[in-house]
Amino acid sequence: METDNTIKILLVDDEVKFLKAVSERLAIKGFDVTTATNGDEAIDAANKGGFDVAVLDLQMPGTDGAQVLKILKQNHKFIEIIMLTGHATVDSAVECTKLGAFKYLEKPYDFDKMVDALKEAYQARMKKKFERNQKRMDAIQKLSMHQSPLGLLKALARLDDNEK
Amino acid sequence: MDNAKDWFGYDSLAFFGKVNASISHELKNVMAIISETAGLLGDLSEMARGGTPVDPDMLISSTESIIEEIQRGFTTIRQMNRFAHSVDTPVVSVDLMEILDLVRNLSGYLSFAGKTNLHTGEGTAPMALTCPFILQAIIYQAVVLTFQNAGPGAELDISVQSKNESTWRILFDGFSPKEFEVFPDDRITHMAASIGVSIDWDRSSDRLEIDVPVSLEGLPSRPGSPEMQPGGNGSRNRA
Repeated sequence: METDNTIKILLVDDEVKFLKAVSERLAIKGFDVTTATNGDEAIDAANKGGFDVAVLDLQMPGTDGAQVLKILKQNHKFIEIIMLTGHATVDSAVECTKLGAFKYLEKPYDFDKMVDALKEAYQARMKKKFERNQKRMDAIQKLSMHQSPLGLLKALARLDDNEK
Repeated sequence: MDNAKDWFGYDSLAFFGKVNASISHELKNVMAIISETAGLLGDLSEMARGGTPVDPDMLISSTESIIEEIQRGFTTIRQMNRFAHSVDTPVVSVDLMEILDLVRNLSGYLSFAGKTNLHTGEGTAPMALTCPFILQAIIYQAVVLTFQNAGPGAELDISVQSKNESTWRILFDGFSPKEFEVFPDDRITHMAASIGVSIDWDRSSDRLEIDVPVSLEGLPSRPGSPEMQPGGNGSRNRA
């Protein structure tokens, strides 16, 4: 259960100095930032959970940004992802959008736009979670009207299975 | 120069574009770091103005970071300049180590590039009268392919030896048979043939061999071959 309103960011880039400067700036703005310098590190960090938004550099050695985007979207239902690139092409933007990226920013970007994008992504995540919870509540309400206590428990288990 | 214009056709242009795109990517990264670090200094200044204590070490490290990135940017622009001037004279007498050094630096801008070590042989510099731009394209492709297949952290050793009086041999250690299945492709084979370069893979030592004639003079002429400038001095580091 989320207990505070701090937006938790996973920031991933192989440029260490870039990571350091951006994470400090975001921390000053009140974000809770965790950094990773490559794709595998990012996937491990995300598996520990708790991130609202991930910011991924597209071009990284090893597991690149597009691969990380795909894996994070598969494994973490509500995470929103902003892609960063110094090598923007229409093809890569289209590919990232298809894979579920929330936004695609080209380096160097305006920091305020990045902050706005992070807040928008967080709002989108909250909206999705709210809608999911609302749907679930409606389903539970419907089930409870026509079920015995045991039947209700079984139906809830099926509902949980369907959401995995 | 009409022959040269014919020579530097689509494949050469594609190579030129590819390398320039990688350089612009590098420069964008440099600019992004400078932009964010300068922004951080601005944020820290605002905090100090508002009475929040600011760690002086953070100010020092941010300033140093900006200076280092400016140097990185200058270095990148120097390589860009070397590369841009490599098309000035289609055929010229060049030191092959200079070409290899430029290719090493240019390939280093690719996100998947590993480390390229250049080994100089004994004796005089390996000079050749050749088309430096086409030779760069061939070697660059071999380096890129090696790193694409080897993954991050890979090391590639390149050396130059005298094969005989009329040929220099560029050797790639770390090139695998798998890479030789796709290198050289038709485009590279065509480029290599046009400047008398032959490409082979030595199965006994797992090495790629690129043989470069000491001089293009005397090779059978072909339509569209680069115009020779035997009086060229090989210096391509112009501002």
